[in-house]
Amino acid sequence: MKTEKTGFWQKLQNVDRRVLYLILVVTTSVLLSPMFANISIPDDPEPSSKALYYKLMSAPDNKTVFVQSDWTISTRGENAAHLEALLRVLMSRHIKFVIFTVADPQAPGVYRDVIRTINSERKSEGLKEYKLWEDYLDLKYFPNAEGTLNAIASDVRKAFGGVTAKDPTTGQDRNVFESPVLANVRAVSDASLYMIVTASSSIDRAVERLNEKATLALMCTGVIGPSAIPWFQAGQVKGVAVGLRGGLDVEYMMKHGLNYGSDPKTARWAGHESQVAPPVSEGKSLARANLYFLSFHGAIILLILAVVVGNIGMFVTRKKRTA
Amino acid sequence: MNSQATLDLFNFVKITCGVLATIGLYSVLYKETKLFRFFEHVFLGLAAGYSLVAVWKDALYTMWWQKMVGHAVDATHQSATAGYWIYAILVPIGFMAYQVFSQKHNWMSRIPIGLIIGLWAGQQVQIWWQTYGPQIYASMLPVWPTTFSSLVKPPVTPDLLPAQIAAINKELYLTQAVNNLIFVVTLLSAFTYFLYSFELKGKFMLGFNKLGRWMLMIGFGAIFGSTVMARFALVIDRMFYIWIEWFQSMHFGGR
Repeated sequence: MKTEKTGFWQKLQNVDRRVLYLILVVTTSVLLSPMFANISIPDDPEPSSKALYYKLMSAPDNKTVFVQSDWTISTRGENAAHLEALLRVLMSRHIKFVIFTVADPQAPGVYRDVIRTINSERKSEGLKEYKLWEDYLDLKYFPNAEGTLNAIASDVRKAFGGVTAKDPTTGQDRNVFESPVLANVRAVSDASLYMIVTASSSIDRAVERLNEKATLALMCTGVIGPSAIPWFQAGQVKGVAVGLRGGLDVEYMMKHGLNYGSDPKTARWAGHESQVAPPVSEGKSLARANLYFLSFHGAIILLILAVVVGNIGMFVTRKKRTA
Repeated sequence: MNSQATLDLFNFVKITCGVLATIGLYSVLYKETKLFRFFEHVFLGLAAGYSLVAVWKDALYTMWWQKMVGHAVDATHQSATAGYWIYAILVPIGFMAYQVFSQKHNWMSRIPIGLIIGLWAGQQVQIWWQTYGPQIYASMLPVWPTTFSSLVKPPVTPDLLPAQIAAINKELYLTQAVNNLIFVVTLLSAFTYFLYSFELKGKFMLGFNKLGRWMLMIGFGAIFGSTVMARFALVIDRMFYIWIEWFQSMHFGGR
């Protein structure tokens, strides 16, 4: 019996998927190693990220920012970079913020980790640490996004009215509206910005209920991004950072600014040259997204290679069969 | 052992558990093993238990229980509040939903479901308009340039006077018009793909319909690409957790 000889391309087509997983793990791990840590991939931020950074940097520093953090560990790869960048910008500008979630009971634990990390980073750099009650409030978890966002839209004082936090000066639990963070907030429109960091459709719920009442801006995963961009184009959301790339965009502008002076590295926004935003004045700029981005490129190159090799293999095999 | 050493040890144990769980869950890529099953059950149990406590502590206790029972003046000197005992009615309504498991009383579960559907349906008109109204408005884009003085929009630099900026922004330049035309053609052709009520006839309509199909496919491709990138970010984050946060930080003292 004559056996058909298997060619090189056919062998490649039949590679065990576990070998591909192994190559992916090795590639991404090697590119994360410290010897590549100082390599920065050049970036030209997306217009939606530029709009987001401009909004963040032009928000008045005497007004509170609302941060709705709707993600957990499963999307830390993208959302941690987003929240870290967002909080670094707010803290560098000494803007007070409230943080809460309407999506997942596990989300407060995750955003508290991020706040703790950035606070200890600021402490090590000799910068002011953000303090609960004085500088920010942790309102925890609100179940039922629809109901909570309706309540926030109609009366934020009732929506958050039952929440208390410890006043460090007296050690007593007090209503959060007695804190310097929310004392001047009577409606959600009193917040300069309503930021949503999400891995879910909670942005849809927010646009449905809040887009006429608050200035919304979004940082979301690559899965949510495509459905969120129309919100930006229609002006319902004032800025969007999508996925790891969006995180890097913000970090890049934190380092080099937007339309900022004659710096050749500053992000230029065609048609919006008058919208100038400087780099952040203190703290880290390039961080998690920048660290991940080289590895991310490695993974994408692998994917493209696999698609090309697979297609060549398919054509060669088909040609052999017809010959 | 001082408190810092205890904290470091706790941190090490915590991150090591995370690394073991990551490896255990990724072991399914090799094949479904008992290790994977174990960590899958640990994950589900932890998530359910944590959520249960968090829902009570962060939501039900503060938003429902405390308001329902009210409180007297206490050590924190908060002013006394009256109890809103009407909130107690939520308990029987909630329990009615669980009657869905009873053959005899499952009709009761329709009451809370009906309430929820009624509330939801009542909001939909406003929600539909808030969602799609601005998008419909933003889709009506001009496609004919108002000036040919420049192909592209001149830079709106901060040194220009407001009147000069307004004059630039008022015009539609050729490249903007081309962009708008691409958008409008894509929108309309994608719409024609969903015209099922009558048969499309003629070369133009059939071609336009085919263009719509192509545009949709390109859109789906971009969405899929974005999704794949999101998945890569997850793998990279796990590798970062194992190699940098655990291996390097714990054994060589940070990056």
